[in-house]
Amino acid sequence: MSTILDLHTHSEASEDSRAPVEAYLNWIKLRAAERPVDGIVLTEHRQFNRGGDYRALEDKFGTLVLRASEVETNYGHMLVFGVNDDMVKRFDFADVHLDAQTLINEVARMGGIVVPCHPGRPNIGMYEHYQNKPPLENVVAVEALNGGSRKGEDERSAELIAKYGFAATGGSDSHLVSLIGLCATKFSAYIKTIEDLVNELKARNYEPVDFRPRRKAVPHAVAMESR
Amino acid sequence: MAVEYDPALINKVFEVTDPVEVKADKIKRYCAALRETNPIYTDEEAAKKGPYGGIVAPPSFAVTFRNGRHFFENVPRFGRRGFDAGKDVEFVAPIRPGDKVTLTSHVKEIFEKTGRTGTMVFVVIRSTLKNQKDEVLAHIDHRFMNRT
Amino acid sequence: MTKFDQINIGDTLGPLELFVSKDQCRAYAKLMGMGEGAGRFTDDEAAKKEGLPGMILPGNMSLGLLSKLVTDWIGSSNAWLKQMSTTYRVPVQPDHAITIHGFITNKNPAEQTAEIDVWMENEEAERLVTGTATVEFRK
Repeated sequence: MSTILDLHTHSEASEDSRAPVEAYLNWIKLRAAERPVDGIVLTEHRQFNRGGDYRALEDKFGTLVLRASEVETNYGHMLVFGVNDDMVKRFDFADVHLDAQTLINEVARMGGIVVPCHPGRPNIGMYEHYQNKPPLENVVAVEALNGGSRKGEDERSAELIAKYGFAATGGSDSHLVSLIGLCATKFSAYIKTIEDLVNELKARNYEPVDFRPRRKAVPHAVAMESR
Repeated sequence: MAVEYDPALINKVFEVTDPVEVKADKIKRYCAALRETNPIYTDEEAAKKGPYGGIVAPPSFAVTFRNGRHFFENVPRFGRRGFDAGKDVEFVAPIRPGDKVTLTSHVKEIFEKTGRTGTMVFVVIRSTLKNQKDEVLAHIDHRFMNRT
Repeated sequence: MTKFDQINIGDTLGPLELFVSKDQCRAYAKLMGMGEGAGRFTDDEAAKKEGLPGMILPGNMSLGLLSKLVTDWIGSSNAWLKQMSTTYRVPVQPDHAITIHGFITNKNPAEQTAEIDVWMENEEAERLVTGTATVEFRK
């Protein structure tokens, strides 16, 4: 039994999002035909947020809600899965200049996994840092598809994945309710807990999935008419 | 390695601006610049029958009031260039022609993050707009982004 | 007339297809007194010197356009745009086709409010400005 999870989302606990978790779950239910997502992972910026009890919402909507973090390092932004007290004590998650290699090694030692996100993005993606710094060690997977990518960014991520043989994930990076689940990760296993997720991420049995609509550009003639 | 600033800066009200009178003509020009056609903002006769009993400014007009020079002399600059990164606006009451609007502002929050263009320091400035009757018109959180 | 009971989560606002000319952008900047030191809103060359692709719209102008999508939807009904949040992700250039989208994402019957996602995108469907709005329906 497979599981599809949106591994990269921001709720109102992130400073730049106003999306309530309940509204995310309701939207997933509403858009289930186009975005068949079984669960979401909240990856709030620069923190590990333990606030809120989502068990009742999980039952109401039949959608899994897990918690992780998005932190900022000298190789760009990274998702940390399996965050525990040891990690929170070891690292200042609010520090925007964390050392990526130390983070990757220490999080692995403490039982979690670090997945660099939007690697193709300028400055905050790993691709650009690989041009002038040594490659990182012990990277298992990177985010191949990101719902917030600008033109060319997912392509640069794909290039990096092809070159280094990373496993590949997907996430919406949603900050708005209606953008949840646009990109996700399809696991071949059944996932119910954060421990399951960490184990499966390490096992590399997954692929990114893209549910973004292929919209046509506004034709120039239409644009001119509305002048 | 967090961004360094004087904590006394937070919540300290720097200034209350001098009242600025809202001229009917300015609302008209504002509507024209946004190609606004809603009669409650543009048509005196139609607006009389509308929910506000007369012309009001479109809600977004609230963000056009600015702090004085004094404010920016007191708010620290963390980089060479500043950009408007976004706003959270709570619209409390309509702004009408003839209103005399004052702005009271303080620094709400300062924090650091990294983005596509580099390391940035965000200064969040909270302003409250009031009219001549001391009625609150809007609260605005302005996220001002400084590139280091 | 837009009424609280008649709207549903998932309903769309717009899309509003726009073409903001450079003159319209300059008119806005001039009205706001953005003259000296704000060449990025009025002059291609000044904007390029700042590393921008050319003239850009002031953030407040984008906020005004996103608000307009919501107030157009409200029309003359007794509903109030109560809150608007914006994030300027990518500079918005005049003389390009832009589209503004809106979706109702939540309803609160106790407070008679609706939450709306709004965003502005370019021809490449890149989201340039994103935001949320709250509309309160009054009796």
